[in-house]
Amino acid sequence: MLRIHHLSKKFNELEVLKDINVNITEGEVVCIIGPSGSGKSTFLRCINRMEKPSSGSISYYGENLIDHAYDIRKFREEVGMVFQRFNLFPLKTALENIMMAPVLTGRLTKNEARKKAKELLEKVGLSEKADDYPDTLSGGQQQRIAIARALAMDPRVLLFDEPTSALDPELVGDVLEIMKTLAKEGMTMIIVTHEMGFARDVADRIIFMADGYIVEEGRPGEIFTQPREERTQNFLARILTA
Amino acid sequence: MEFLKTLLPMLFSGLKLTIVIAVSGIRIGIVIGSICGYALQGKNKLTKVIAEVYIWIIRATPLMVQALYGYFVIPKVLEIDLSSVTVGIMVIALNSGAFISEIIKGALLGVDVGQKEAGKSLGLTRLQVMVQIVIPPAFRSALPALFNQFIISVKDTALLSIIAVNETTHMAQNYAALSFKAIPTYTVLALFYLVILSVLIVVQRQIERKMR
Repeated sequence: MLRIHHLSKKFNELEVLKDINVNITEGEVVCIIGPSGSGKSTFLRCINRMEKPSSGSISYYGENLIDHAYDIRKFREEVGMVFQRFNLFPLKTALENIMMAPVLTGRLTKNEARKKAKELLEKVGLSEKADDYPDTLSGGQQQRIAIARALAMDPRVLLFDEPTSALDPELVGDVLEIMKTLAKEGMTMIIVTHEMGFARDVADRIIFMADGYIVEEGRPGEIFTQPREERTQNFLARILTA
Repeated sequence: MEFLKTLLPMLFSGLKLTIVIAVSGIRIGIVIGSICGYALQGKNKLTKVIAEVYIWIIRATPLMVQALYGYFVIPKVLEIDLSSVTVGIMVIALNSGAFISEIIKGALLGVDVGQKEAGKSLGLTRLQVMVQIVIPPAFRSALPALFNQFIISVKDTALLSIIAVNETTHMAQNYAALSFKAIPTYTVLALFYLVILSVLIVVQRQIERKMR
């Protein structure tokens, strides 16, 4: 469904993504791992054009997103994003956060959106927090609300940008649990993560990035037990012994 | 104390005009400041420069000179009639607008980029992101500073006495000139402002406390 071809991104002179080629098929769960500064997040953010790619193409069911004529909003309506720092709207309750986008984009009426938001809150296990404001919730709860907010648009793909990196360790599990459920339900997901255990259990494919390149990709079994590239071996050795 | 019977009603009638001018002026100032503040943090170079020049001119000239210019020069040049009250409102509006521009700019820039990204990632339009996501928290954080500007504008109206606007200070001047009682008149005037502005300062404290 998504074909990324020769994607590169420069910040001024600094080239942070170099010739990225990836195909994502429907229902696939792809985890992107690698050292910080390797370009993982930038790559993810290029997909829904939070960052503008410098060159290359991203095609979504045959349409090129990088094309100026393409209305990126249509794509964003179908592709949700979950951020490291949750980015909930602080003046809105949990329920309002979830309801907002479907109503504003004209997909659902207010009543439909409210009903849906309640269902989603139940799904992420936070029904009792519907009327609470984000700053009264824990990081883990906020992130679960943020996932529900993304799901309210019925996305075909979800992008996760280090969804558990800003969480206290004891709160990580709840968020990962929801992501696992989504994976089981067949959601297409692209996940930038440092949670190696999660990646091993849930991913269909692991992409290892370093210095702006995709160094290696493959099934979790291959990457974690017998990585071909030295870069990958070194990275995993450091992470897994830590 | 007999003189208070004459002076106080005069001050109260002046206060009405003081408030009308300050409130109308700051209202227009908020509109001007919102537009210019938005322009200051926006990407359009032309509108940004226009906003900057406006703010520069206002900040680099005294309010009293602006009042004199608006009252004695502008009507002549444009061949129009402008009442002193109209000029007074315009001067307060343009003046507060310049300072409010900076307040609004800061407030808009103060909204976390992540909020905007979240809105964009959900497929909202730029206008929706602005109206629904950026402006509400920006306005909230700007409120104490906006109210502070209102207090400044209330005090600034006193300078409009130079163009014979019958606001509080001008009324006191009139009374002092006719009665030759400068010391009691201006003492009462100072106390009068002190009370009115103290009320506004208390209100501002309340707003600040609520925002925290």
